[in-house]
Amino acid sequence: MKRRIEVKLSLPVVAPLLEVIRELAENLKHTLAAAPALPDPDPEFREAWIGELLAGQEGDLKALLSLFHGEFFTEGVVAFDDGNAEQILRACAAIRLHLRQRRLSALGDEALETGEVEMADLEEGVRKAFVCYLFLATIQELIIQHLDSSIIGS
Amino acid sequence: MPETRTHTVPGSKTETTPKVEGGWRVVVLNDPVNLMSYVVMVFKKVLGFDETRARKHMLEVHEQGRSVVWRGLREKAEAYVFTLQQWHLTARLESDEATH
Repeated sequence: MKRRIEVKLSLPVVAPLLEVIRELAENLKHTLAAAPALPDPDPEFREAWIGELLAGQEGDLKALLSLFHGEFFTEGVVAFDDGNAEQILRACAAIRLHLRQRRLSALGDEALETGEVEMADLEEGVRKAFVCYLFLATIQELIIQHLDSSIIGS
Repeated sequence: MPETRTHTVPGSKTETTPKVEGGWRVVVLNDPVNLMSYVVMVFKKVLGFDETRARKHMLEVHEQGRSVVWRGLREKAEAYVFTLQQWHLTARLESDEATH
């Protein structure tokens, strides 16, 4: 049976984060969220390997961005199910990794790992990026909590 | 059914693969970004681990910085590395003959 969860989000809180997500997703059309260690230095192999990863990443990001249309802007609702859960999980990971690299490097890895960050001390752009980082982690937690068995079984 | 793109390693550079069981290992390195629950889920999904085994390897990655999650033939090891990278884990292939 198809499982589906709907999450109602606060539009005023989440809408500003979409700007960050969309911008990073645009960057990630041309670059991988994390540089992969390739098992073979051969240029053709390298090109094929990276090309496949990039194509997958692009599809995943499209699935994430497609959450934030129609029903989101009218009702504040996004929906996850067996059909989009995996892609959205990966897309959230990609954006979070890219956020670390592009927007959150000043925070340091320990702060990112523990989440212990004094928000009031952050400059506006970094604060927005960090809220986005936390928001995407929350989406991942929700999916894993509710759809884990569907994902593993697929 | 969700889209799955597992085991779709590009290229076919297997002609030099040593046909020795246990010759290659898949290593996952720690990163400060991916959630513990996410890593556990990926290990279960990609490597077929049960919850206990997935958590053991996740903690190894978290506490020791790396974990060998699979050993075997190069071709299959490459496929696992590729799929783990699709899930944005820092995975790499190592030869058992190499030291780290």
